[in-house]
Amino acid sequence: MKRYLIVLSLLVIAGTAAQAKEHPGKAYIEKNGYQGPSTCESQGCHPGTAKKFLGTVHWKHSSTVDNVDNVEPGKEYGMKNRIYTMCNGNDIVNNLKEIPPNPKTGKTKFTGCNTCHPGNHISDVGSTGRDAENAIDCLVCHSQAYDYRLRKPYKDEVGRVVMGQDRSVKAAIAVGKPGVKNCMVCHEAAGGGVLLKRGFSYTKETDVHAAKKMVCVDCHGAKDHRIPTGYDPNNWANDGVRVGCSDCHGEKPHKDEDNNRHAGRIACQTCHIPRTGGALAKDFTKWTQGSDGFYEPTTLRMEANETAPVYAWYNRTVANTPAFIGPKGSRTDKESRIYPFKLYEGKAFFDRKTGQLLSMDFAPPMATGDTLAGVASAAKTLGIREYDPVSGWQTVYFGSNHLVTKEKALSCANCHAQNGVLNFRALGYSEEEIRKLTSAGIYFEKMAVKQKEEW
Amino acid sequence: MNRIAIVFLLAAAVGTAMLCVPGAALADEIKMVGGITKIDISGPDAKTAAVTLKDNKTDQLVTVIVNDDLTLDKFKDHRIVVGDEIRMKYEVQDGRNISKYFRKTAGC
Repeated sequence: MKRYLIVLSLLVIAGTAAQAKEHPGKAYIEKNGYQGPSTCESQGCHPGTAKKFLGTVHWKHSSTVDNVDNVEPGKEYGMKNRIYTMCNGNDIVNNLKEIPPNPKTGKTKFTGCNTCHPGNHISDVGSTGRDAENAIDCLVCHSQAYDYRLRKPYKDEVGRVVMGQDRSVKAAIAVGKPGVKNCMVCHEAAGGGVLLKRGFSYTKETDVHAAKKMVCVDCHGAKDHRIPTGYDPNNWANDGVRVGCSDCHGEKPHKDEDNNRHAGRIACQTCHIPRTGGALAKDFTKWTQGSDGFYEPTTLRMEANETAPVYAWYNRTVANTPAFIGPKGSRTDKESRIYPFKLYEGKAFFDRKTGQLLSMDFAPPMATGDTLAGVASAAKTLGIREYDPVSGWQTVYFGSNHLVTKEKALSCANCHAQNGVLNFRALGYSEEEIRKLTSAGIYFEKMAVKQKEEW
Repeated sequence: MNRIAIVFLLAAAVGTAMLCVPGAALADEIKMVGGITKIDISGPDAKTAAVTLKDNKTDQLVTVIVNDDLTLDKFKDHRIVVGDEIRMKYEVQDGRNISKYFRKTAGC
């Protein structure tokens, strides 16, 4: 009898959970259709949400930045206006538009950094007011039945470039917590191709959290659409909320006290994200022509998990010069821990007069391969009259915070060996310390006991 | 002596065949970039799709079988559609081309 009661209770709970999955308002939307945010805010649901959303990084593509060198205090930075060599353009200079016809094929196409902005492009990055609120594409992030064919740029009757949206009833009644695909539809194609920029795939095969069926927002859980982010040295814009491993796992996540002691100076990612991938390097000064006649920046690409990270001390403040964007920190700085980074190098045009990196409008080089025409167009947009372009390289350290593994995590012998993954010399250790740190003597007794227990 | 000659001739024949079909015989995976001309899936719960692409280098039509859930999901909600250019790796198994890697070339 007890067993039946338990089964009955479980069925009731399961039924309640299934009911909870259906978003309220289905009948209202089926009857009245879906008009965008105004529908979401009707019937007393989600009041004021659209207005608040206009203040977030997802809408503004920028925020004030307080941990990066050589930025103006109080000024907002992000993909709206940053210049660096993974993208070399930004929303301002590489605004979504129809590019000039390719001389060979006569064909044209739409392109621009703000293609992923969740508005309609008429109300664009950082816009405000009622029109901007109405332009928000809630469903591209929240619907599980979004028809992505509709999210394409087109020209309206007066020649404006508009980004389409799926505002169908079918998409609107399938709303809920964003799934992985809602996030990845934009984030996986950033930087010029699938999985190029950050170099990770989020699948059950590549990340322990995905294997446990966790979705992006289980860690990056938003409040009022302010999405918590980590401290990737190259990801400056933030909503003022942060996420880290210890939020869930605590400061002492291991049963083994030696491992917990390591966590004091070594970031979780160092042992638990031993691989990285994506674009190794790009050349924005020389674009490669594709089969369709259009040009793309020449890119060396690797798969997720195909490359080894570089390790450095990081105190969550960022060096930012024309030649280098990456972590600051040192062994003697108690705020610093050793982190893994995805190493990337980009070649682009710098201004010989100022030494500063120049940005690029992609429309001219995409059509004809003329990269200096792209620099000229961007300079014109920014009001830069005089510059002397010269090619050069910039190194960028990207945070390596996904591809988390438990099974393949680094163990003692991976680092404490003469051919170990950590370059102790570069990390600031003396020759005598290195001799000790790279000897099996440092872990021999412990590993021997463990080996005996396991076998 | 005869046996040695037969072995030699067989080895020569295999070598010649490999040289004639280098892509198929020497490599487990065949790589190509091409535009999608047709996607055949049989319903929302379909677990496989036959996708035809036009090879950019040869203009030949190649049909591959796609079985991975992530890519199938992208067909179903039209994140990947006819006309998209794809970077692909496939293997020939029992006379069928089985997709092992299927990614859009485009990004932003």
